[in-house]
Amino acid sequence: MTRTATSHRAATRVAIAAMAFALAACASTPPPVASLESARQAIAQAERARAADTAALELAQARDKLAAANNAVENENMMAAQRLADESRVLAELAFARAERADAKRVNEEIIEGTAILREEIQRQSGGPR
Amino acid sequence: MNTLNNFHRLGAIVIAGFALAACATSPEQPSDAERARAALNELQSDPQLANRAPLAIREAELAVAAAEDAERGTELAAHLAFIADQKVDIARAQAETRLYVDRREALREERDQLRLEARTREAETARRQAEMSREELEQLRREIEELNAKPTEQGLVLTLGDVLFETDEATIKAGANNDLENLAQFLERYPERDVRILGHTDSAGAASYNQQLSERRADAVKSYLVSEGIRASRITTAGRGETTPIASNDTAGGRQLNRRVEIIIENPSVAARR
Repeated sequence: MTRTATSHRAATRVAIAAMAFALAACASTPPPVASLESARQAIAQAERARAADTAALELAQARDKLAAANNAVENENMMAAQRLADESRVLAELAFARAERADAKRVNEEIIEGTAILREEIQRQSGGPR
Repeated sequence: MNTLNNFHRLGAIVIAGFALAACATSPEQPSDAERARAALNELQSDPQLANRAPLAIREAELAVAAAEDAERGTELAAHLAFIADQKVDIARAQAETRLYVDRREALREERDQLRLEARTREAETARRQAEMSREELEQLRREIEELNAKPTEQGLVLTLGDVLFETDEATIKAGANNDLENLAQFLERYPERDVRILGHTDSAGAASYNQQLSERRADAVKSYLVSEGIRASRITTAGRGETTPIASNDTAGGRQLNRRVEIIIENPSVAARR
């Protein structure tokens, strides 16, 4: 019982602190948390698609923009942070799209290569000694 | 003087006016938004790609429109144009991905068709080869039959009767035996097979004489084969004299069977078959 009461009191204190923090943040423009998170997720998705191999430049640019956005948050330039986060996100999405395109291209090329090998094989069979 | 000055002043003003007008209408650099629009137009007019990423193209469309709406030269305009550029590139990449996927089925079909053809041809070749070796074996069997040779473990054994030679002679009677001609032909066709020739006699007369006679008769067969073009190195000869009869020497019929030449066509060695 006592324990529950104590943890209740602690929770209340945390809630108050959080509210105070939120209010303080509200005083100026809040950091673009959602946009920063979106950019992070887009980068993670591109990484899972092995964009580091097939769209390295776009992925690097996305990471740079996200770092710049975080910097802007530290400097309390929330407008710049918002824009940089959005730019980071579209770059990451581009990296992902190009990684997918590279995969699709590679699959086709493997099929074409297989076809060429078969054609050679047939050529040999019909051209070789009987 | 005054009038002249006025003229000069007027001229200067006119020139300045021209210069300003030229500045105002000088060909402008396309804005970032205009460049994004151009890239989008190019994508949308590509018949291979225009319909392959409708959602992404719609998003690019909105982003380009937003960039166009922004006031030129502002940071916001640059930002929106940047976003628009990426959205157009994303739409293009997605459309191209779709195009690869859509072509894949046809590529697979072509490959599978060829694979089938390759396997069919392979099977056909294997079948033909099997048939050929079957035919070769069949032919060999027929030829051995024609030779009147008996297959044994050491090879094919062909026994030539004494009708080949005159009594006490080691010269082969001309045209006396078809078997020898067949043998020469057979050896010519199968150059990997060597041949051993053994002469035998009956027990009439001295054993030493019979020994020599059997050797000479074996040699005579060898000479015949060499004259027919068989390499001498493939042929070995030996005389067995009267030592290995195959019938009784007490009867004329038995003695006739014992006077003989045995020709052993050796099975091709493993090394020769390689």
